[in-house]
Parts: sequence; structure tokens; C-alpha cells
Amino acid sequence: MLPVVVVHGGAGHIPSHRSELSIAGVQEAARKGYAVLKLGGSAMDAVVESVAMMESQGSVLNVKGEIEMDALVMDGRTLACGAVSAVRRVANPIYLAKLVMEKTSHVCLTAEGASQFARAMGIPEVPEESLITDYARKRWKDNLGKMGTVGAVAVDVQGNIACATSTGGMINKMEGRVGDTPCVGCGGYADNNIGAVSPTGHGESIMKVTLARLILFHMEQGKSPEEASDLALAHMFERVNGLGGVVVVDPKGTWAARFSSRQMAWAAAQQDQLHYGLYKGEHFTEPV
Amino acid sequence: MMKAVLVVHGGAWAIPDTLAQASVAGVKAAAQAGSVILKSGGCALDAVEVAVRVMEDNPVFDAGHGAVLNTNGEVELDAIIMEGKTLGAGAVSSVKNIANPVSLARAVMEKTEHVMLTSKGANLFAESIGVSTVSAQALVTEQERKEWQNYKKYSVGVKELFNSQCGHDTVGAVALDEFGNVACATSTGGIRNKMVGRVGDSPFIGSGGYADNKIGAVSCTGHGESILKVTLARLILYHMEQGKSAWEAADCSLHYMAERVQGGGGAIVVSPTGDWSVTFTTERMAWAAFKDQRLLYGLNPKEMFEETLDC
Repeated sequence: MLPVVVVHGGAGHIPSHRSELSIAGVQEAARKGYAVLKLGGSAMDAVVESVAMMESQGSVLNVKGEIEMDALVMDGRTLACGAVSAVRRVANPIYLAKLVMEKTSHVCLTAEGASQFARAMGIPEVPEESLITDYARKRWKDNLGKMGTVGAVAVDVQGNIACATSTGGMINKMEGRVGDTPCVGCGGYADNNIGAVSPTGHGESIMKVTLARLILFHMEQGKSPEEASDLALAHMFERVNGLGGVVVVDPKGTWAARFSSRQMAWAAAQQDQLHYGLYKGEHFTEPV
Repeated sequence: MMKAVLVVHGGAWAIPDTLAQASVAGVKAAAQAGSVILKSGGCALDAVEVAVRVMEDNPVFDAGHGAVLNTNGEVELDAIIMEGKTLGAGAVSSVKNIANPVSLARAVMEKTEHVMLTSKGANLFAESIGVSTVSAQALVTEQERKEWQNYKKYSVGVKELFNSQCGHDTVGAVALDEFGNVACATSTGGIRNKMVGRVGDSPFIGSGGYADNKIGAVSCTGHGESILKVTLARLILYHMEQGKSAWEAADCSLHYMAERVQGGGGAIVVSPTGDWSVTFTTERMAWAAFKDQRLLYGLNPKEMFEETLDC
């Protein structure tokens, strides 16, 4: 059953003319992560490469029309984690989050401090323009809903587990708004003894129920990844009226992609098969 | 009607003897201020906010006035507040020139659709709702400026700093009001010589604090990066959901944190039935609690003093 990687491309509303593009995006990301794992790479490298590939597909804008991004990585073996919040002008926030984990004694760096650290690490600044797709700009102008979170979970052949999540947050968010993504236990959690989760959806709701950690608590109590996800998503809806979706793995390689929102673009690679879907109940399979 | 309970902490670390008396006096004053709210039928959320404000205003604690300095010699503050009825929460991270970050966190909860604002965005929000700012120097004590200059000479990591005697006194409060609502609040200046923009556990929901009327409320303190790795506040409540008492849950979670990620810390907990606990794996933690017209407090392990409060 190992290795396995599961990715999501966000649980927001995806217009029908974009659905093929978003399916292709998650498929490509899952293939990328799976290739890393098949070559004996670590779960951490796999989730980071999968997410980096989806990051390059474009971010969203804050209320001023600027991009502030959040990202989180977590290593299930040591519980080491790295996060950045409200960082600007970096092409791949997920790489920066991984560097926070590896090169500092901290877990989270925010805003200008995160940018300073990026410069110190020699990460080139990119013009904000280059991070904004025409599509994101149009959605911002049209004041459309939220989108833009991507994430991955994986188990490698050694049994190590990792998660990675990255987001440009919500369209028209307040400057400095930090959602669930960089928050350990909300926007992701990984523990070799239990499993890993990467959520997407309404960030504030995910935070209020610490969604990632909640799912893993249910799994510690013997629930399967699918049961645990459904329980936690139902709880989130009942208690704080929030919708979202998750990708989950357990140490044996059992995985789930579940969502309470209308759609979530997801893909999983395991035993040389690529699984994917967008609407509820959809589950297509093809060789990797 | 429930019997109201309030517990506060002034940070879990190796508090030196020179600060011991002032720390204990500070937590007692905070518990007393919070108890006034609860005794007059006020809500848990107001009580934890007031208690934390009192400690933010007290320069002996590393929160608000008296906060530690980052590598640039600046104060950057983090805070969270959460109420257990609706799971409403507000937090600010890396905010500057704000005397009472806990109240700004509450404004994020009550006046925005968001849970967390960071850095300049948090300051812009403060300005937009008319929160007055203080000068960058106003929050810095003479003592902290000296300590910081001392530490600047040496390059040491967070764990070394934390395990030494340097200040790391995050403050926090949890409360249960007579209507059965629980709430928590945590506020901090972080750790001395932290990197610019470093955010510790305090403003992160589930790590620095969590409150749910169905389970209880927790406020944490200690090595922030370790607390984040185990999402300490939520972990303690998870154990309470599984039937453990407030003390058992905090004790097993803190020991798990020590074993799994080698981190020390402390937590204060209250349950919806009024079961409460104070637990720490560090050398000391200044704490005080109000229940049944009594004020309880302590500093060293297994220490508990008692005073009767005047009605």
C-alpha cells in the first residue's frame, strides 16, 4: 500500500469551464509527488513538490489587490513543522515554510519577518504581478468567493508521513488576515503514529474546530480516515456552519479525500494507479 | 447556576528569586480583577480579558508592557481570546505599539469575519477601530533593554534561551461563568532575541489556547515551538473528552510534550463543571485561581496558598 500521495486543489467553487483544468492540475501534482516517492524520496519531499507544482498555478489577492500567502509543512516522524503567514513576493511559499522548519529554531514566521528570512536564504523576490493570474485578477474584480488552497499528504516506503498546505487565502480578504493554513493542527497535521491531514475550505471554521487535529483524534480512537473525516466535517458544519474538504492518510497507506463543499479537486497515487475526482461520489481511476 | 471559576498564569519558566514575589503579586492581582467580573454576574469572556489586561499592564510579565525584544530590538506581540459557546475566536500576531493585544484580539473576534490578523494588517485594523497606539519605547522596560543587549552578544538558539533563566512569561487566563460558559485568553511578547516575525504558540488556536463549552478551556505557556508541535491546548481537551480530569489531562499532555519533542511548559485548565487545574513541567509557574470566594495561588511545584477574598 506504500508509498501513497493524496493532493487537493481547494474546495471552493470551481466554474464548469475550469473543471478540466483543475483536475489536470491535481493529477499532475499527484504524479509529481508519486514520482518522488517511487524513487525512494521522503514523504516530506513528495508533499512539498506536489504543492509547489500547484502553487505555480496562481494565487489570489487581498482587499488591496495584493497577494499575501500562507503555507505549512509538517514532518510526522519528529513533529517538526515550518510555517509562513502573510508573506509576499515569493514564488513558492511552501519552500520557505520548509526552510523555516530546517534552518531556524522557530515554527512560524510572519509578514515582513518572513520576507527578511527569505532574502537571507537567497530566495529571489518575484514581482507581485507574476504571481497573479488573469483568472485571479478577474475573480478579484468580480468579487467572487474563495479559492486557492492546495495541499498534499503522503506516506513514503519507510513509513514516514508528511503534510503540506499552501494558500493565497480568500479573495478580498483584509490585509494581514491569516487563515487556517499556517496554523498547526488547523491547516495541517502529521504524526507517524496516527496519519496526516491537509484541509481546505472556510479557514475561520477550520480554525475554530482545529480540523486537522480533530480528524486525527478520531483516527486515534480507531476510526478510518474516511469515517474520521466525515465525522469532523459534519461537526464543523453543525457547530460553526462551515464547509470544507480534506485529504487524509494513515500509516498503512489507507487514504481518503472527503468534502462537505460542493466540489473539491483531488487526486491520489498508489500502487501505480491514479485516482481522482471533483464532485461528490466521483472516483475515476487510470494508470499513473 | 454554576459556581464561577477563574485561573490565571504568568508564564512557566525558571522564574528567578528576584522576580518571584512580583510575579506572584501580579497573578494574584489579575485573578482578583477577573473575579470581580465573575462575582457581579459577568461572563467568562470579560473575566479572562480583564485578567490578562492586568498582566499585560504589569511590567513584570512578558506581555504588553514589559515584553521582550526581538533580534532587531523591537517588541512584537501575540495574543488570542476564545469563547466556548460558539467557538468564536480572535487573535493577533506580531503586532506592534499596542498596549493590550488581548483586547485587539477580542476586536478581531467581534468586529471582523476573521480569526487572525498579523503584523501591519493587525495594526491597520487597530487604527481603523480607533485603538490608540503607544510609542515603540513605551512597552520596553529598562531591565529588558539591558538583558537584550546582554543576549545580543551571544548567538544562542531558542531552546538554550528558554532553558536558561531568561524571561519567557507569557500570561493567560481561563474562566467558567455562572451560566456555564468557558473562555480562555493568552498574551505574550514571545522569547527574547526571537527572529523578526517569529510567531509562537500563543496566538494559534488549539496551541496557545482553546475553549469549548462542551469540554473546557485551556491557556498554555512554555516553549512555544514545542506547544505548537503537539497542539497542546487541544490535546489536553481531547484527553478530557476521553474522560480524564482537568489535572490528569494536562499532566499526561505535558509529559507527552516532554517525551515527544523535549519541550517544557505549563497549562491552566477549567472544565464546564468547575474542575480546574494548574500543571507545569518547568521549574516554576506563577498562578492564581478564584473559586468559592477564595483566592488560591502558588509558584513552586505542589505549592498552594489560600486567602479568603473580601466580598
